[in-house]
Amino acid sequence: MEESKTNSGQNLGIAALITAIITFVLAVIPCVGMIAIIPGIIAIVLASVGLSQAARQNYPKGVLIAGLIIGIIAVMISFSQFFVAGKIARHADKWPNEINNIINDVKDNVLKDLEDANVSIKIESNGDTVSINAKTSAKKKDREQKLEDLESGNKLNNDTIRKGK
Amino acid sequence: MTPSEKASDFFHFYFKRLKSEPYLKINFVFAGVILIVIAYSGIFSPDKNNYPVVCIHEKVTGFPCFSCGLSHSFSLIVRGRISEAFQWNIYGMRVFLFFVLQLVMRIFFSVSFLKNGNSRNWLIRYDIAGTIILFAIAFYPFFRQLVLSLF
Repeated sequence: MEESKTNSGQNLGIAALITAIITFVLAVIPCVGMIAIIPGIIAIVLASVGLSQAARQNYPKGVLIAGLIIGIIAVMISFSQFFVAGKIARHADKWPNEINNIINDVKDNVLKDLEDANVSIKIESNGDTVSINAKTSAKKKDREQKLEDLESGNKLNNDTIRKGK
Repeated sequence: MTPSEKASDFFHFYFKRLKSEPYLKINFVFAGVILIVIAYSGIFSPDKNNYPVVCIHEKVTGFPCFSCGLSHSFSLIVRGRISEAFQWNIYGMRVFLFFVLQLVMRIFFSVSFLKNGNSRNWLIRYDIAGTIILFAIAFYPFFRQLVLSLF
């Protein structure tokens, strides 16, 4: 009878320790960290029951205490995964606006750079090369006018259109 | 005595001691868990994408987490497609190596425990220290990410 009680206490300790260590490994991995809270609680319960038995019957408690401590740490890590997920979910609402702002900033910067840019377009087809060089230092309206002229086939004084092989 | 008889005797002795030694029980269960992980990686195919475990983090937040792609990575490592495994999860290899080393350690320490009756306490201490160091190395990126996300 005495021996069977010792074995049951020892088995509880081993079960608690194994569950706690597996929980610990699971808790660290974000994909499954949140569900690790369930085996973590099981490990704590097993270790607590084992400890109460061991305290009553004066049995060794080393494995049980190890199981309890690792179980508690694992549950804490698992619980922290909830906080991390919650934090990300809260920030997720703001992210689309922030991304839009960044895109607009980049767009504005690119347009600003283009204001003073010299544009050079080179087209190659079947050995023929056409290159268009346009100075864009003029104001926007002037550039639009130049573009319209180019589209209508008029050659501008400041711009060069070269054709060659 | 033939080698097969020796092995049979050793396993008989091991399973007899398994009932009375908690350390051997723990090693036995861990070796079993690691074999299940390796079997899981082998059974489920990265090409068919038929994994039963889904990322809960992604389900909750809508964004993939740091450990997404670990199952694919493990499956690819088991199949010898190492470069593809790195593409799925850059930390897949180090976590997989941790499990493989743990399997080797469980077998090695169990055999040593049975053979060296006098130095068992030291063996357990070496085992715990080695496992903690390996765990810290393998899972450091996950801990780091967790701490950075929290604070």
